[in-house]
Amino acid sequence: MGMGIRNNTLDSEARFTTNGLRRGMMAATPFILSNGAAGLVMGVAYKGLGLKCATAVLFSTLVYSATAQAVTLGMWSPSPPVGPMIFAILLANARYLLMGAHLRQLFERLPRKMMVPILFLLADASWMMTLSDSERNGPDAGYLLGASIPMAVGWVAGTAVGYAVPMNGGGALAATTALLPVAFVVTLLPSQWRGRSAVMPWVVSAGVAVLAATLFSPNWAMLAGGASGTFLHLIEDQRA
Amino acid sequence: MPDWRALVAIAILGLVSFALRAGGFLSVGAVPDDHLMARFLRLAPGNLFVAFVAAGCVEGGWPTVLGSAAALATMVATKKEWAALGAGFAIGALATVIRF
Repeated sequence: MGMGIRNNTLDSEARFTTNGLRRGMMAATPFILSNGAAGLVMGVAYKGLGLKCATAVLFSTLVYSATAQAVTLGMWSPSPPVGPMIFAILLANARYLLMGAHLRQLFERLPRKMMVPILFLLADASWMMTLSDSERNGPDAGYLLGASIPMAVGWVAGTAVGYAVPMNGGGALAATTALLPVAFVVTLLPSQWRGRSAVMPWVVSAGVAVLAATLFSPNWAMLAGGASGTFLHLIEDQRA
Repeated sequence: MPDWRALVAIAILGLVSFALRAGGFLSVGAVPDDHLMARFLRLAPGNLFVAFVAAGCVEGGWPTVLGSAAALATMVATKKEWAALGAGFAIGALATVIRF
């Protein structure tokens, strides 16, 4: 049953329905476990950094992005370098701008005061699920919200549960904790692959980053490498 | 006692994240799909991630290199994040134990 807005115009069937909300929540329920597992790892990492549990949970709630959190995790210090972190998040999460633009095409007719709060929970998976569902059932912002909720619950709860994991011990455990942010970002790489045109830009990104990490610091290495590779990628993309 | 520097940093980063989520929705029409900025937004994350991983490998040494390779291979093969993270951590820990 529809709970709110339904436009009668042919060019936009956008609506928010409780049925969509329910369908989205049901479809995304498995993400409580998968996001929970990933969130747990993030919680372990935050614990290793010395953040308090409440602070870590706040981090996962407000930033709510594996990408942004993994990248800033590698830059965290007692006096966090906010400027470089913002720049890193802008680059790492730039895709959200495009995702939001696509959603605007689907939900153009819905009030912004309804859509903007829902976007607080926007995730890659809920965006993809919503696009797919809109082709079958028409655009439904209820589905977007419903699919987003289990993902957020899993991520935030997982971060809190990560604080229950014992952290005593050095050697392998310490090394594994140090690997956390890198491993997180590695899992995102396949989704960013843009075919053969990405080979040289990625090689340049890695090469410049290694050089800068050796000569300067890892924080700036990431930004210098990413900027160099992106510039080359734009040129290659233009030629293709 | 709360660490205000951390809380302020988290609040700012949260605001930036939300601005990106809402920004595309609110500003659509300003950036056509084939525009240079749109292509930049599409291509930048992958290059940044590669640079991040490369810098992390320099810092972490062989355990990070081997763990990252295992995570990447598992992600490509299974498309499951939890499996990739598990494999990466297992290989990273093993490499550390062998080296130590």
